[in-house]
Amino acid sequence: MVVCVSEEVEILGLTKNFGELVALDHIEESVPEGSIFGLLGPNGAGKSTTIRLLCTLLKPTDGTAKVGGLDIRESPVKVREITGVLPEEGNHTLYPSLTVYENLEYFGRLYGVPDDEIPGRIQDLLTFMELWERKDDKTGTLSTGNRQRVALCRALLHNPRVLLLDEPTSALDPVAAKRVRELIMSLSQKYRQTFFINSHNLAEVQRICDRIAIIDKGKIILTGKTTELREKLHGQQEYRIRIVGDPSKAESLVRSVDYVESASTEVDTIVVRIRDPLQNNSKLIRKLLDAGVNVVEFSEEEASLEDLYLETIKGGSS
Amino acid sequence: MAFSKAMLVARADLKMALQVKYVRLSLIGMGAFGPIIALLLIVLVVASVPLGADYYILMAFFPPMGATLLAMFSVIPATMISANALVGEREQNTLEPILSTPLTDRELLLGKTLSSFIPSIALLLAGTCAVLLGSTIAFVVTGKPWMMIPDVPGLFLILCAAPLVILTAVSVNIIISGKVKRVYEAYQSSGMIILVLMIPMLVPIVTLEADMPNPNVIWLANLFTFLISIILVTVTWALALKRFNRDTMVSRR
Repeated sequence: MVVCVSEEVEILGLTKNFGELVALDHIEESVPEGSIFGLLGPNGAGKSTTIRLLCTLLKPTDGTAKVGGLDIRESPVKVREITGVLPEEGNHTLYPSLTVYENLEYFGRLYGVPDDEIPGRIQDLLTFMELWERKDDKTGTLSTGNRQRVALCRALLHNPRVLLLDEPTSALDPVAAKRVRELIMSLSQKYRQTFFINSHNLAEVQRICDRIAIIDKGKIILTGKTTELREKLHGQQEYRIRIVGDPSKAESLVRSVDYVESASTEVDTIVVRIRDPLQNNSKLIRKLLDAGVNVVEFSEEEASLEDLYLETIKGGSS
Repeated sequence: MAFSKAMLVARADLKMALQVKYVRLSLIGMGAFGPIIALLLIVLVVASVPLGADYYILMAFFPPMGATLLAMFSVIPATMISANALVGEREQNTLEPILSTPLTDRELLLGKTLSSFIPSIALLLAGTCAVLLGSTIAFVVTGKPWMMIPDVPGLFLILCAAPLVILTAVSVNIIISGKVKRVYEAYQSSGMIILVLMIPMLVPIVTLEADMPNPNVIWLANLFTFLISIILVTVTWALALKRFNRDTMVSRR
């Protein structure tokens, strides 16, 4: 029987309580096949709990989720067969007394990879991660970054349909992090593997994820395609006006203008957010110059996902 | 349930446990200690005490004592290996990856149990054979009448009760694995199970008749130990199976 699945991960009112603590509160989300989904949020927001529920380590208090069309409540073993997991602090989750190769071989067998395919897959992954020469080293002797790479290899070893990665590039140097990002994008494009990534690294999420959600206190407070969210940010740009002279006087002048939404001072620079900037930027500069303020630089600061994230989290907290 | 996957877990657990110095030492040390002590005492008495009343009184203690020593020293490695296999996973943060694999709870439990059961039973049987063979050689060399050490009640204790006590120690580690955070706490707790094996050692001593242990009392003590072991293994395994679930193990990190 062939099951056609368009949504590879479907989260349906997923709730998890730990005693009195509500770690996840009826979250809903869907991740299409072959896409990269990023879950952002502060510490304790419920990101790792979501991954633990999706890979059936935890049982939901209410609601459910489907991974590859399989219900996590009804078919936990089958869900685990098709998922690859990089747990939180993945670099600490290897057997330190086993070698790199032995760690991967053990998990390859547990995931049911045919015995004759295991050596080849291990070699391919370790070569890609530039760790093949260290295959006989005990993982306890590796650096944090190298252990993280081995943990990533372990998650990828059985070619899972869905990869649940908790902070995949944490502890990696910039070059290794870039390689991992490229690998994730290439696997999602070439093999239609679906990625569910928890991250604090906003730049990374912005770069590789097709869709993101921001979670705080167990609730998803913002979700959408990365492109949509970037568009949403458009028009919320901030402008930086560097002046010579007393910035407080200039800031109060800027604040008095009706089309200025907010203004603050950073040393010799006034950071302003202007309504309808195309119309009003020139008016503001003229007003400042007319008032005798010595403006030496006027620049646009493009709003990033970080701004949206911080704003959303701030809004969610208040 | 795939037995091969359980064996895979068992082999890996044993391999990793043996790389921990104190587990390796306990497995070798404890495995050898029981038979060596028993054999040394037997050889000492057989070689130095002349045939007579004193000799027979002393020799009467060896079959029950030897069997109990062998049984007790086989439980200690089991507590250490199972503590490493269960609580050790939590301690070294490898619990989540192993629980994320397609292993079923039963495969995982069976694997964790076999990793401590198989070597402990192997040590027990090897020790028993060593004592049987060593004592026979001592009797032949000294020309003293042959005695079977361990005797039939002793073999009953070794073959029937000791495996159950070993399984009980493993199940106790499963029960407490969700609560304790350190390996040493686990094996200290599960090691208490060894006290059950004090019954067949103490009862014959406190019920001496004409300075010698009563064979009927030895049988009764061994049967009683066996029955207690059955009850303990049933109760602790029922609790262990009830308590062993991924949610509890992961939630109590």
